[in-house]
Amino acid sequence: MIEVRGLTKRYGEVLAVDELSFTVRAGEVTGFLGPNGAGKSTTMRMILGLDAPTSGTATVGGLPARAQPAPLRAVGALLDAGAVLPGRSAHHHLLALAAGNGIPRGRVAAVLEEVGLTRVARRAAGTYSLGMKQRLGIAAALLGDPPVLVLDEPLNGLDPEGIVWIRGLMRRMAAEGRAVMVSSHLMSEVELTVDHLVVIGRGRLIADTGMAEFVAAHSRREVAVRSPQAAGLGPLLTAAGARVRPSGADGLTVTGIGAAEIGAVAAANGVELHELTPRQTSLEEAFMELTQHSVEYAAERGETR
Amino acid sequence: MTRTGTAPGSPAPAGARADRPAALPAGPRGGARFRHALHAEWIKVRTMRSTRYVVLGTLLLGTGLASLNGASSGDEYASLPPQDRSAFDPLALSLRGYILAQVTLALLGGLVVTAEYGSRTIIGTLSAIPHRRRVLAAKAVALTAIALPTGLATTLSGFAAGQAALKGAGAPHTALADEGAARAILGGALYLALAALLGLAVGTLIRSTTATVTTLFTALLIVPAFGPALPGRLADWTARYWPPSAGGQIVTGYRDPALLDPWPGFAVMAGCVTIVLAAAFLVFRRRDA
Repeated sequence: MIEVRGLTKRYGEVLAVDELSFTVRAGEVTGFLGPNGAGKSTTMRMILGLDAPTSGTATVGGLPARAQPAPLRAVGALLDAGAVLPGRSAHHHLLALAAGNGIPRGRVAAVLEEVGLTRVARRAAGTYSLGMKQRLGIAAALLGDPPVLVLDEPLNGLDPEGIVWIRGLMRRMAAEGRAVMVSSHLMSEVELTVDHLVVIGRGRLIADTGMAEFVAAHSRREVAVRSPQAAGLGPLLTAAGARVRPSGADGLTVTGIGAAEIGAVAAANGVELHELTPRQTSLEEAFMELTQHSVEYAAERGETR
Repeated sequence: MTRTGTAPGSPAPAGARADRPAALPAGPRGGARFRHALHAEWIKVRTMRSTRYVVLGTLLLGTGLASLNGASSGDEYASLPPQDRSAFDPLALSLRGYILAQVTLALLGGLVVTAEYGSRTIIGTLSAIPHRRRVLAAKAVALTAIALPTGLATTLSGFAAGQAALKGAGAPHTALADEGAARAILGGALYLALAALLGLAVGTLIRSTTATVTTLFTALLIVPAFGPALPGRLADWTARYWPPSAGGQIVTGYRDPALLDPWPGFAVMAGCVTIVLAAAFLVFRRRDA
């Protein structure tokens, strides 16, 4: 379990992370979302003890990173998949990490097997594709068989096969009772994988909610309508209980009532319809709307300071 | 890796870990310690490509230069005026290769840490071992374990090759048992290990490989070479006290009264490396990764 309480990081004038508090629970995949520059990586670096917080705390299993007796056994992390010495093999890269935490060397072969790199383990890591480096990064995260995983944008630049693999891995890790924290700047990357959402913008918490609640609150059904008599149809639909927004010269976006009801209203009034399309607004749009507000709010606040 | 599944939403029960087929054995009692960090750094320094090149290059440069120096200076000896003959230093001639060996080993020292920043593996290193002083101390020990034997092999083979060349040219030469020879060979090796540690400290402070290389070249080669071009007092001071110049006296046999004696000179270099290394520890501990 990861507990972040009042976490703050200031770089000179810039407040990168601002009084952030949230919990990443065991047995769940928690999506850590925010636009680029929202402070996701900085937060993860503080959780891992790489950066020191200006104030507040971040603990894994109740301990701050520097107090962990063997950090890799407490939390496995993938922060930067490209971070390998080009001339060193995957085997030696992992062997050094394992040695530093007193993890037996047999474990290196086991995690290489797990991520499917056994065949290329003795090759210089500089020759690996991005997907292979990502797998090596995951292998490093799994070395200590940790109850907590922290993955920073693990899907970035991966091919579809790699994406499916990482999503499956995260689900499996959560099913095994581990706490999985995964960051992304795209809702669509994680919406099928995460149980819980922590959304930040400009270093501040915007939302901390279950995925199901988020979907219920933010997915809207709407109907796109096109008609040469759109101007006349609008008030009729409003009278039927719909909310209507004009869209283009002959179009309307209708929420509140379904396509069948709209068709019935049109037929009853002899209105000709050219299009009647039910649509579901994507979570991506809902997420962008959410973070957009925070960015604007933060920018204004910054100016008046 | 296989784990017995637990229902999503419930934390893994502690007992479930024990009956996993490939369960990870318990860690070292009291957690990971310095020896684990040292083991990790030893694996890393051994598996860095540059290490092989530096060790081979250092040996070749040290021995080759001694051989060339010995042969050419030996030939010149016959034509030297008597007052210059008294300053003829067969010991230093054979060990002059240290000037290049100190650079290659210092670069290795620098790379031990700048390569981590350059490839960003420092993130993994410090996530695994968040104790900064432990990491840097382990790097220093692992580096010394490479640099000291390499340094000793370099001074020994340089001495052997240089004295053989001098002897072949019919010039004065020294034997291993002669006064000062053991001090110059062992002290020279220690000096080379100090140069490697200086590189480590400078690399830790600067982080960039390019800037570290430039700084080390300046400190080890350029300042000693161009010191005599400085205005009078400054030139004398540089020749006497600039740490690499002072430390280099450890390989000399002839005593120039204007310069420090071998061990006092060595102490100046050792003191300088201690101070820069202490600064590196301080900065490394406080800095974000």
